[in-house]
Amino acid sequence: MAKMCVNPNRMELLKLKRRGDVAKRGHKLLKDKFDELLKEFIARISANRKLRAEVEAELKAAYGLFAVARAEAGRAAITQALLAGAPIELLDTSEKSVMSVHVPIFEQLELAEPGGYSFSTLPVVLDEALARLAAVAPRMLELAEREKAIELLAAEIERTRRRVNALEYVLIPSIHETVKDIQMKLDEAERGNLTRLMKVKDIIAAQEAAGER
Amino acid sequence: MRVAKIAVVGDSTSVAGFRPLGFAVFTVEHAEEAREMWGRLSAGEYGVVFVTEPVYEAMEDLIAEVLDRPVPAVTVIPGAGSAGGMGEAKIRRAIERALGTSMLIREEEE
Repeated sequence: MAKMCVNPNRMELLKLKRRGDVAKRGHKLLKDKFDELLKEFIARISANRKLRAEVEAELKAAYGLFAVARAEAGRAAITQALLAGAPIELLDTSEKSVMSVHVPIFEQLELAEPGGYSFSTLPVVLDEALARLAAVAPRMLELAEREKAIELLAAEIERTRRRVNALEYVLIPSIHETVKDIQMKLDEAERGNLTRLMKVKDIIAAQEAAGER
Repeated sequence: MRVAKIAVVGDSTSVAGFRPLGFAVFTVEHAEEAREMWGRLSAGEYGVVFVTEPVYEAMEDLIAEVLDRPVPAVTVIPGAGSAGGMGEAKIRRAIERALGTSMLIREEEE
C-alpha cells in the first residue's frame, strides 16, 4: 500500500491518527448505508418483476383487441378514429426521499374520455380495446415509478459501494501504513538520541577522569 | 408537485390507441427515427416516456443518459409483435450496476 508523503513528526502522527479514526467511522456509516440500500433494492426488485409481467400481459391483450378492431373495420378507419385527442397533462409528479435518494412519485390525473369517432361505423371492440388500455394505464405508471426508483437506487448503490471500497482498501490501509512508518522513524530517532547522550556522557566522564588525574 | 404529460413512442400499430386517452403519442415508422425526437422527449415536458421494445433498442445509449435523473422515467413496454423481455433486461442491467453481478437476485427468487 502506498505510503503518504508526510513529514515524520509528532504533529503529523497526531493528525493522521485523527484522520484514521474519522475514516473508520465514515467507513462504518457508509457500509451501513450500503446494506440498507441493498435491502431496499432487493425488496423492490422482486415486487417489480411481478408487476411488469402483469402489465405486459394486459397490454398485449389490449393490442389483440385493437387487432380485432382493425380486422373488422379496416386499418384506415381505425387509424383515423384514433387520431382524435390531443395530449393533455396526465401526471402529477413529486419526489420522495428513500435513503436520501430522490425518487419520483407519479400520480395519475384523469384520462381523457375517448371519443370523436362514429359509433355506428366502428366496431364495439374498439371501445373495449380503449377501455382496456385506460384500465392498464395506472399500472403502467406504477411500473414506471418503480423502475425509475430501482434505477436510481442502483446508481446510488454503485456510488456507495465505490466509496466503501475506496475507504476500506485504499485510504484506511494507507493511513495505517503511514502511522506505523512515522512511529518507527520517531522510535529510531529516539534511540539515536539516547545512544548519542550515552556516548556524550562517556566522553565527558572520560574527560573528567583525565582532568582529575 | 408538478404536472406533466406522458409520452408514448412506438410504431403506430402498437401505440395509436393511447392517443384518445390523452397520452402524447409519437409514432415512428422505423425505430431509428425516435432518436431525433429524443431532445424533445427528455426536455422535462414529459414525466414518463413509454417506449416500445424496438425503439428502446434503437436508442438505448440516449436513454442511458437520463438514468440518473428522476425525470423523465423511461419505461419499456412491449410493442405489438415484439419478442418481449427487453424491460426485464433493462432492470437486469440496473441490478448488475448495483451489485456487480445479477446472479444473486436470480438465485434468491428460485
